[in-house]
Amino acid sequence: MTEAVFRETTAEPRTQSVPLSHLSLELGHLYMEDFEAGPRRLREHFAQVGPWVAAARAAAEARAGGRRPRISTCFLIDDYFTRFSSPAELVPLLLAEADRAGLEIDYLARESGCAVTGTVPVAQAVAARIVESPPPGSYGNRPPAAQTGWLANGERSPVARAPQAMKPAAAWQPPQETAARRHSVFLDVELWSEDADGRRTWSCPFLAAVWQLARLGLLRAEGEPLFTPDPHPGGDFPDDWDELPSLVRLNARADPFAAYRTCSVLPNRFLPVEHAVRVVLDQTEVDTAALRQIAERSAHEGVPVPDSVADRVSYVFYAGP
Amino acid sequence: MAGPGVEESAPSAVLACGEIRTCLLPTRQALDIRAAAQLLGLRADERVLLSERPNLYARSPDTLTGVDCPLPSANGARVRAVGTVAARAALTEGRVLQTSAYFRLPATGPDQRRPWGHYLVRPGVLEPFGKLPHEAVAQGVLDGGRPGDLDVGLIADGLLTRLLRHPLLDHCPPLRSRPTRLRWAALPAHPGDGPTLERFTLAEDELRTVRLRVPEGTDSAEIAGLCDDLALHDWLLTTVVRMLDGIALGSGAPPARTRPGAEDRPAVLTTLRPAVDHLLHLWMPRARVAAALAPLWEALEERPGFTRQWRTLVQRIRDQLALHAVPALYREVEPAP
Amino acid sequence: MLVFAASDKGGTGRSVTSANLAYQRALTGDHVAYVDFDFGSPTAAAVFDVPSAMRGAEERGLHSYLEGEIAEPVRIDVWRQTEHPLLRARPNQSGRLVLLPGDAGGGEFATGEEALERCIDLLLRLNGEFDLIVVDLSAGRSYAVDMVLAATAHPRMRNVPFRWLVFHRWTRQHVIAAAGLVHKAHGIIKGGVERGHDEDALRAAIRFVRAAVPDPESPVWAQGSPAQAAWMQACDETLRRLAAEQRIGDSVVLGIVPLEPILQWREQLITEEDVLSTQIANKETLEALEEIARRLTDDSYWGRP
Repeated sequence: MTEAVFRETTAEPRTQSVPLSHLSLELGHLYMEDFEAGPRRLREHFAQVGPWVAAARAAAEARAGGRRPRISTCFLIDDYFTRFSSPAELVPLLLAEADRAGLEIDYLARESGCAVTGTVPVAQAVAARIVESPPPGSYGNRPPAAQTGWLANGERSPVARAPQAMKPAAAWQPPQETAARRHSVFLDVELWSEDADGRRTWSCPFLAAVWQLARLGLLRAEGEPLFTPDPHPGGDFPDDWDELPSLVRLNARADPFAAYRTCSVLPNRFLPVEHAVRVVLDQTEVDTAALRQIAERSAHEGVPVPDSVADRVSYVFYAGP
Repeated sequence: MAGPGVEESAPSAVLACGEIRTCLLPTRQALDIRAAAQLLGLRADERVLLSERPNLYARSPDTLTGVDCPLPSANGARVRAVGTVAARAALTEGRVLQTSAYFRLPATGPDQRRPWGHYLVRPGVLEPFGKLPHEAVAQGVLDGGRPGDLDVGLIADGLLTRLLRHPLLDHCPPLRSRPTRLRWAALPAHPGDGPTLERFTLAEDELRTVRLRVPEGTDSAEIAGLCDDLALHDWLLTTVVRMLDGIALGSGAPPARTRPGAEDRPAVLTTLRPAVDHLLHLWMPRARVAAALAPLWEALEERPGFTRQWRTLVQRIRDQLALHAVPALYREVEPAP
Repeated sequence: MLVFAASDKGGTGRSVTSANLAYQRALTGDHVAYVDFDFGSPTAAAVFDVPSAMRGAEERGLHSYLEGEIAEPVRIDVWRQTEHPLLRARPNQSGRLVLLPGDAGGGEFATGEEALERCIDLLLRLNGEFDLIVVDLSAGRSYAVDMVLAATAHPRMRNVPFRWLVFHRWTRQHVIAAAGLVHKAHGIIKGGVERGHDEDALRAAIRFVRAAVPDPESPVWAQGSPAQAAWMQACDETLRRLAAEQRIGDSVVLGIVPLEPILQWREQLITEEDVLSTQIANKETLEALEEIARRLTDDSYWGRP
């Protein structure tokens, strides 16, 4: 079919590529209660982050083999689980505190954008791409995770089900991590919850996994890149969070938002969330064409990415609230 | 054809296998192309491939299923393999639904399981533990494995079950028909040889097996595409043959018992009309087969002659219907024994 | 079309009679599936005389399918796999006759939402393949009855026609029990309405089959004394009145199966051979089965009584 004269555009897949940095460096990932705690909390946060950011930059430079690595910084604000204040009030405060610590935020993102960007239901699309890691003995008959709303890193304890009449009930068995080394660290992640009307609320770890995929340049909708930055038109920020684009470029000279690898500097209360993110990333099949584009370009630049998407993600957890 | 994933980093395959389920879409009317896209939209972020030439055809994106189990083998070797099986669904002319699951295997793999992310970036690849006895596994797949062995048919069937739950379907099929299963295995061709179709077997009632040889580097999605095409046309033949098989033609000796409630309408008309409405226009071998694999059809056209049989069946149906258009008075005059 | 075979009590010959109906319809050219939802006592394999086909199928029957252990329940092609010598010679122009057995050794189990979805999947697939699907249900107010009531009320099955046959013996206790199963609290109609069925439509789709009925006119009883004959007539009359009071009178009876030793004792399919050559079965029994089989799809026997 390669030399075909006749073509139908709807019959051929195509995937657009995105510009890429070497590293996407996340300076924070804060919830409304952090902002509620006042400017002092932000100041402490950036003061703690500063040295680790320098270390992450140094590590990226070492990996780039002497050339100047392209590094972009980003910051994620939660406007999904709770709404507080307004961009007009909060964003200038945030930027001022970052600046005080000598840090520059290139890109600002809203967490709602990880659920729905524009009209694209990103979270739902990513959820449909989950391919559960099969425990040994899976020969093709396991139900997909999408049926339950939970994703584990192994095999759950069997459900206690009423046995057939006159048959013995099965004895309890422990859950088991599939990649366990002798002993299990079993984790079962709630991907979403639903209210009585069937309205779905995505869980924080699941949206954080979508956020990682966005930063790795791996999100596509029908081949089109998602989570592309809008420039900040200048002037004041809007009074309503919904009027702020999902991703805003604050620094006109910034390197591209998406990158081969990511690093996030977070307080250590995020440790369980990010463990869950890894469980999700490790079982999410991303767009194969996007994956190939990035593999080819990173290899061409002499900084090949790890095969596994979860291995492209790194963290610094600092002791803090 | 949808390109496979990071082919470069995977060692080349020595075996590709799959299974296809083919059935009539259980709806009164064929689905139009937009409804087909709705039915097959398995993922919110990936488009359904739609094509209108040379016939209406829609194909879903691939979905993956993780497996970690022994491979079936004809010599009893129990080789464990881990990876993902790809599956997709296709709808031809809004009428025939197919789900197709397939995978490929490299000659060797590591001795232990790797992190799952390693397998996920190699969609449709299973890695064996150690060396793969590919001839024995190919035969094992075609024969069907023991309980607990990889069953790629289950994955095709699981996708079919999911699609058949779609609210678009009214479950009023215009005719009774049986789904078929086609299992295939593609082994490497001898160096320098082109692709060949070694054997096409009608096994049990609903099972067909196809054994192929293909040059190294042949895309497994393209082999699956060829086998989808074979399965579609085999299903058409099977279905129409059974339709004609089940009816008493002419006015000779009646069957052992008369079918209840059939006295008022000629059985021939009620049985054959749906074939004309829904099946006869679907015959189009090689419509979407990759150019390199299209010549494999020739073996089947030579013997037993798929298209030859189809033409005969179509002619028979048309003759019967034409005969019934003649007033009964003349039709019933049959040569005396 | 789906036909559900139900009974309140055991011993009505429900399984063997419904299997005979399936067989009769296959002889007329219909493609027929017989689905064994008698979960507590899955014995259909014996009725169709396919014991060896069941070997190795212990864990691949309908129990395992509905509980999600397997994706496809095993199917037995009766013409080909039966050990009954007369059935093996599949008559010309006959349709398929396929048995979907339960797990050998399977027991009653509580059916949940997942089992219901799988039940619907199965019935819809069979509906695409077969002209007639006979579903034999566990006796009484069982999980099986509950599940198929819910399945047939489900939107996915809105276009699949179904009918119910309720089997009962011709005794006072059985008449009351059969009426109770259909009309009383937690019965088929009330239970069906709770699951979304239209009451009138459901009622119109239920008919009764009186089983093991001694025919006072039959030559079998002709040897008896006049007093015995008179007593039998009187009993028959009393039962008819009772049945009418219980709303299971003649107008909702699809057929009557005579008292027949071969059904009671051998519990197998009755063939023409049994009537004509070996003469171990009565002609009347075979005719009754043929007639009920014919009436299954004869609309004049169905609808509002």
